Amino acid sequence: MAVNPLLPQVAVVTDVRRETPDVKTFRVEAADGGELFAYRPGQCAMVSLFPVGEALFSITSSPTRIGFLEFSIKETGMLTRALHEIEPGTEIGVRGPYGNGFPVEFLRGKDLLFIGGGIALAPLRSLINYCLDNRDDYGRVDIIYGARSSRDLVQREELFVNWPRLRDTAVHLTVDVRSDDWEGNVGFVPAFLEQLNPVPEGKATITCGPPVMIKFVLQSLAKMGYQPENVITTLEMKMKCGIGKCGRCNIGDKYVCRSGPVFTLAELQKLPNEY
Amino acid sequence: MSTANGKIRSSAAEALAEGRVTLVLGWRKKDFWWQSPVAFVESAAEAEQLTFDPFSVYNPVKYLLEAAGCHEKVGVFVKGCDSRGINRLLQDKRLEREQVLIFGLPCSGMVDPVKIRAAFPAPKICEVARDGEELLVRLSDGQERVQTADFLLEKCLTCRHPNPVVYDRLLWERVPVRSGVDALRFARVSSVAQQQIQERYAYWTRQFSRCIRCFACRNTCPACNCRSCIFDQAEPRWLGKASDMSDTLNYQITRAFHVAGRCFECGECERICPAGIPLQELNRRLIMDIDKYFGPYEAGLAPGDLPPLGTYRGEDPAGFDES
Amino acid sequence: MKKIAKTKLQELWQRLSAEGALHLPVRSDRVVEFVRWQEDVSADLDALNAFLPPKKYFYPQTETVLKYQFEDTLQLTDVSSLAGEKTILFGVRPCDAAAFSLMDKVYLGEPVDEAYRRRRESTVVIALGCLEPEETCFCLAFDIDPGKAPGADLLAADTGTELVFIAQSSKGEELLAKLNGVLQEATSGDENKVKDAQERAREKYVTRVSVHGLAEKLDTFFDSVYWDRLYRRCIACGTCTYLCPTCHCFDLQEYAAGRSGERIRCWDACMFPDFTQMAGGHNPRPTQKERVRQRFMHKLNYFPRQHGGEYACVGCGRCVRQCPVHLDILEVIREMGGAVDGR
Repeated sequence: MAVNPLLPQVAVVTDVRRETPDVKTFRVEAADGGELFAYRPGQCAMVSLFPVGEALFSITSSPTRIGFLEFSIKETGMLTRALHEIEPGTEIGVRGPYGNGFPVEFLRGKDLLFIGGGIALAPLRSLINYCLDNRDDYGRVDIIYGARSSRDLVQREELFVNWPRLRDTAVHLTVDVRSDDWEGNVGFVPAFLEQLNPVPEGKATITCGPPVMIKFVLQSLAKMGYQPENVITTLEMKMKCGIGKCGRCNIGDKYVCRSGPVFTLAELQKLPNEY
Repeated sequence: MSTANGKIRSSAAEALAEGRVTLVLGWRKKDFWWQSPVAFVESAAEAEQLTFDPFSVYNPVKYLLEAAGCHEKVGVFVKGCDSRGINRLLQDKRLEREQVLIFGLPCSGMVDPVKIRAAFPAPKICEVARDGEELLVRLSDGQERVQTADFLLEKCLTCRHPNPVVYDRLLWERVPVRSGVDALRFARVSSVAQQQIQERYAYWTRQFSRCIRCFACRNTCPACNCRSCIFDQAEPRWLGKASDMSDTLNYQITRAFHVAGRCFECGECERICPAGIPLQELNRRLIMDIDKYFGPYEAGLAPGDLPPLGTYRGEDPAGFDES
Repeated sequence: MKKIAKTKLQELWQRLSAEGALHLPVRSDRVVEFVRWQEDVSADLDALNAFLPPKKYFYPQTETVLKYQFEDTLQLTDVSSLAGEKTILFGVRPCDAAAFSLMDKVYLGEPVDEAYRRRRESTVVIALGCLEPEETCFCLAFDIDPGKAPGADLLAADTGTELVFIAQSSKGEELLAKLNGVLQEATSGDENKVKDAQERAREKYVTRVSVHGLAEKLDTFFDSVYWDRLYRRCIACGTCTYLCPTCHCFDLQEYAAGRSGERIRCWDACMFPDFTQMAGGHNPRPTQKERVRQRFMHKLNYFPRQHGGEYACVGCGRCVRQCPVHLDILEVIREMGGAVDGR
């Protein structure tokens, strides 16, 4: 029988981790113990908390880690505020996966430069763990990540312990605002990127962050000689359906929920500048 | 070309050329004979497109707030009803008098395209122009003359203030108020008000069952000038988005109450309602009650007026009326 | 091919209503509206545009998407399988009938919208050919013939005093077969009358515009200063979108009642400021300029680019007639150089 594409599956939140004062990571499993769905790094899912509502979040877990989905969610509106109040054991609705995901085949064999800001490490993390779990398929991995302050860095265990200890993998951190507990770099991500000045040869770069960060990162990358085909980013738009019908995430002849959220800079340059 | 158009164009061109204003709001003609949308005129040359015809009905005052945000001074042409909208904005302190140069246009009423189409098969109509007391209807196969009074918009048949109440310059002679206006003003609302409460409820729920919540009535209303409207708020959402009767009544009744004492009877909400809901009856019902409880009051007649529901007097009635 | 005298339509409606819920355009209060037929109600066969297009039968302004209930566990109930009452739509104009096939591209495209599909399949569409287009009609621009409606199950061709029925699908044939007692056999003379009426309707057009090459022209038009002026009149109401037979954007909202509730889908409009407003504050279409541009670009460029060149407009003229500030798609088509003749 045909199914209603807007109908979520019932899922259970099995773990809630506080990342920062306003970000929590939720681990979600199918209520019946099975798999919710297969997905690719960079894909998204609609998360429903009844009776508050539904919104699209990127899946931050990697499909290489089986049996659960994870979402890192920042408190910004009514739904995310309510999500921050739930405890493990809460039943929610999940539907997906939506979107194209990162081009893992295209990236195979290349050195990877990840550039993230704030909560937007979430989609990158899925791909980072995917690549690190398939370590031989990918070249050197550099992760540049920044947040407002040291308190706002998410996924600290991976940033400080798990990722740096892997071979050919480096994590470069920066924060916008200096604090007593921070000994690392202070400054915005684009400036930090230019300071590190990673060479574009053999590299693909994947960047996610707030629009203003993306804007300047793209400028910096262009200055450093990165080709638009090798610069990959994601767009964030308001979405209600996730299936290309509700009309909100329409940019030019694309629906971000279906053709995106992952685009190369070369693809973005062909789209109307309305995101 | 009519002398009215000549006066409008030269007044606008002059004000723009002298630099007294950098934008003038008036009307121009569009594709069809019944389309006279508001024009945004920014140069003396552009002023040549300005037109005042029997369809220059939309109130340009609706655009004043946004225009005043990006122009030091804006010129605006106003009919009697439109001018009361300016007073409303002045009363609400949303606009300063110095920000506008007002050209007053005494108005003997706007024409209803529906009535014209009913009398003449529509595809044949090319132009409808005023000629004294008559309308000259130019058809693809000839022309006819009809009495303007038979083709006026319903809202114009009950207009008590055809002459602008605030202006810097009046462009032509004042026109008389139509006779019998006072009797007509509350005729529709009185007949509904006389019905039993169940009948009235049935009447209004039938009317509002057609409401699609397009918000044209609110968005077109110069009395609705809140910076952000409670009905647009998402957190918390005061108005459900489903098209059900309770939310529609919540919206429509709140809207009517919110403009009570501010509604200056331009009747635009009703005229533009795509669902044909007689919104002016609701507005007039509240005006009737305000007259009864707070004394006769007409909104937007003077910039210094204090709206009855925006002020408190010791002798104001305190109880709820059972009727 | 069958026919009936217009004076006998009550009999036809009586019979049709036995085959399913019969809905037709009826004049009441100040508008013509598609409503369910009842004894003694007559369709308005003269009005061209019903106030709301009949898309509401497949894509209602508000519908329940799912129900939820917290018992021991969270229970979600799909209600889409309940959609699809047997329905007969009588008097759908060719433009509105053509709009159904455009809506199909969205809602029958993958993933298929189950409730929409069920409603579409359980409905017989009887189109009513137009005798005389209004000045705001421009369906011809989209290759829609005012006297024909190839997408409908049945075409009722208006020949003046009679309606001639032509079956155009198996659903149409099936229904026509059931109406034997009410309808008469049509003759070759009637066939000629239909052709004449169709030809005359085409000739009576006053508003002739062309959209040929328009999508291509708009490919590079996004950054044009044209939009800077056009939008200023827009008062951001939803008239154009809600009255449009091809507008399909929606919102999802929760309606809770204690431990249970439902999620509804309702029409939404790209003209509303909050349409793309994100929870964090960012709005990719921050002013009315971007919203107005979106609507016209979507209809005349984005949609054709997504759907094999077809425009998301059928020239019904509702927005032309009803826009409070006279800002409409006909103006944009004309100003883009799409005028052929007409006024």
